[in-house]
Amino acid sequence: MRKPNDLNYLLFIFPALLYVGYFSFYPAARAVYLSFQTPHSHFVLVNYKSLLYYGLSSAVLNTVALTVGALLIQLAIGLGAASILLREFRGKRVFSALVIIPMGVATVVAAVTFSFIFPPPPGGYANALLELLHLPQFNWYANTLASLFTVMVADSWKNTPIVTLILLAGMSGVSPDLYRAAEIDGAGALRRFIHITLPNIRGSIAVALIIRGVSEFNIFALPLVLVGYRIPLLTTLTYEFYSSASIGDYYYSLASATILLAFVAAFILVVLKLGGGRR
Amino acid sequence: MTTIQRVLVYAGAAVVTAYFLYPLYVLLLVGFAPVQYTLDKIYPAQFTMHYTLANLVTALTSYGFIDPLVKSLKTAFLVGGLSVALGFPAGYGLSRVSKKVSSAASTTLFVVNMMPAIVIAIPISTQFVRLGLYGSFVGVGLAQELVALPLATFIIYGTFQAIPRELEYQARIDGAGVGRTMLGVLAPLAKPGIAAAFLLSWMLSWDEFTFAILLSPVHPTIPILIYHNIQRGNLLASTAFALFLTLPVVAITIMLQKYLKGEYLSGGVKG
Repeated sequence: MRKPNDLNYLLFIFPALLYVGYFSFYPAARAVYLSFQTPHSHFVLVNYKSLLYYGLSSAVLNTVALTVGALLIQLAIGLGAASILLREFRGKRVFSALVIIPMGVATVVAAVTFSFIFPPPPGGYANALLELLHLPQFNWYANTLASLFTVMVADSWKNTPIVTLILLAGMSGVSPDLYRAAEIDGAGALRRFIHITLPNIRGSIAVALIIRGVSEFNIFALPLVLVGYRIPLLTTLTYEFYSSASIGDYYYSLASATILLAFVAAFILVVLKLGGGRR
Repeated sequence: MTTIQRVLVYAGAAVVTAYFLYPLYVLLLVGFAPVQYTLDKIYPAQFTMHYTLANLVTALTSYGFIDPLVKSLKTAFLVGGLSVALGFPAGYGLSRVSKKVSSAASTTLFVVNMMPAIVIAIPISTQFVRLGLYGSFVGVGLAQELVALPLATFIIYGTFQAIPRELEYQARIDGAGVGRTMLGVLAPLAKPGIAAAFLLSWMLSWDEFTFAILLSPVHPTIPILIYHNIQRGNLLASTAFALFLTLPVVAITIMLQKYLKGEYLSGGVKG
C-alpha cells in the first residue's frame, strides 16, 4: 500500500483552515486596516487621537487591573479546589460535579445573578447576608476599584472551574513518591505544597494563566450588565462606540478594537514562544 | 490523612461548594419565590417557604419569548452541525499528518480560539449587512462557529488518536474508498468524540453573547433577550429566561464531564 503523505491528509484539514481564515483572520486584518481610516481620508491616526480624549487610557488601565485581579482570585481558589479534589473523601464525586457547574452557566446568566447579589446600594443578597451577621454594609460600586473587584468576584465564579480542572490535571501528574519522601523527611502539608506541588505544576499554572488571561481581556457581558459604561474597559468602550449610530464612532470602535487585538496578540506571541520549544 | 487534614479538606470543600452554589441558589430563589420576598425587599431573606410558578409563566408567555427561543435553537444546531461537518474531517486529518503539520494547524486553530469576538464582529457586521446576513441566525451561527470549531476539532482529533490506524488500512485493503472508510468505519468508532464536539458546540452557541449582540441586536437570541430585559428593568423576566437558558446547559455540562479535562480546555497547548 502507498505510504500516506501529508498533502492528501491536509485536504481534510483545509476546509476548517479556510473557514477560520475567511471569518477570523481576514476580518481581524480588516479591522486593523480600517482603524487607520476615516470616511474621508486614508491612513490617519485621528481615530486613535480621539480615543485618547474619550478615555482610552483609563479603559486600558481598568482592563489590565481587572485581568490581574481576576487571575489572582481564580488561581487562589483553583489551587485550593484542585488540592481538595486530589484527595479521597466521602462525597468527592458530588463535589467534583458541583465544581464544574458554573462552567455551564452562560455569562449573561451569571451577570443577572450577581446583579441581585451585588446590586447598586442599598441592599441586595450579599448585604442581606452581612446584615444577618451584624457586619457593616458595603457599597459594591463605591469607586472604580470596588466596582472592578465586584466584577472580578462575579467573573471568577464562572471561570474558576476551568482553572481548577487545568491545575488538577497538572497536580495528578506529580509523583506520589515525591510527597512520601518529603513526608518522611518531616515536611508538613504546607511545605509540601510550596516546595513540591507548586514547582511541579508550573506548566499548568502558566497554561491556566494564559488561557484565562486572554479571556479576561475580552470580558464583556459581565461588566456591561454590572457597571455599564461607567467604568470603561476596552471591550465596553469598543461596544459603546459600535452601538452608537454615528459613522465616525464606528471608526473609533475599530481603533479601540485594534488596541484590544494588540494586547491579545502580545499574549498569543508569549504563548507561542513558551510552547515553541516543545513543538 | 490525619484528622486535622480531614477536617481541613471538608471545610475547604464546604467553602468552595458554597461559593459555587450560592449564586445558583439566589437565581432559583428569585425565579420561584413571589417578588415581595425577593427583589422588592432591600434585604431579601436568604430562605423562604413561599414558592410560585407565576414568575416563570408570566415571563415565558408575555415577553416575546418564542422568537428568541426559535432563533437560539436554530443557531445552536447550525453551530453544532458546522462543527461536526468541518471538525470531523479536520480532526481526522490532524491525527494522520506529520507532527510538524499537525502542530502548525492546531496552533492556527488555537490562535483563532483566542481572537477577541468583538474585534472580528465589527468588520464582519458591515459585510453581513451587504450579504443580507446581518440579524439572521445564519450570520450569528457562522461567527459563533469560530469559538466552537477549534474546541470541536481538538476533541475529535483526540478521539482519532486513540483509534488504531490498522483498522483504517484494513478497510482500504478490503476495497473501501476514502469516503466509505470515513463514514462506515471511522465515524462509528469516533462517535463519542463527535457527539461531545456537537454538544459542546451547541452549548457554546446557546450561551454566546458577544457575537449575538453585535451581529443581531434587533432579533435577539435568548442571552440577548435576557440582557434587553435587564436594561428595561424587567428583572423577573430576565431571571425566568436565565433559568430556562441554564437548565439544558447544566445537564449537558455534567454529561460532558469526561471531556472537560485540562488537556482539551487548554486547546492542546502543553505547559
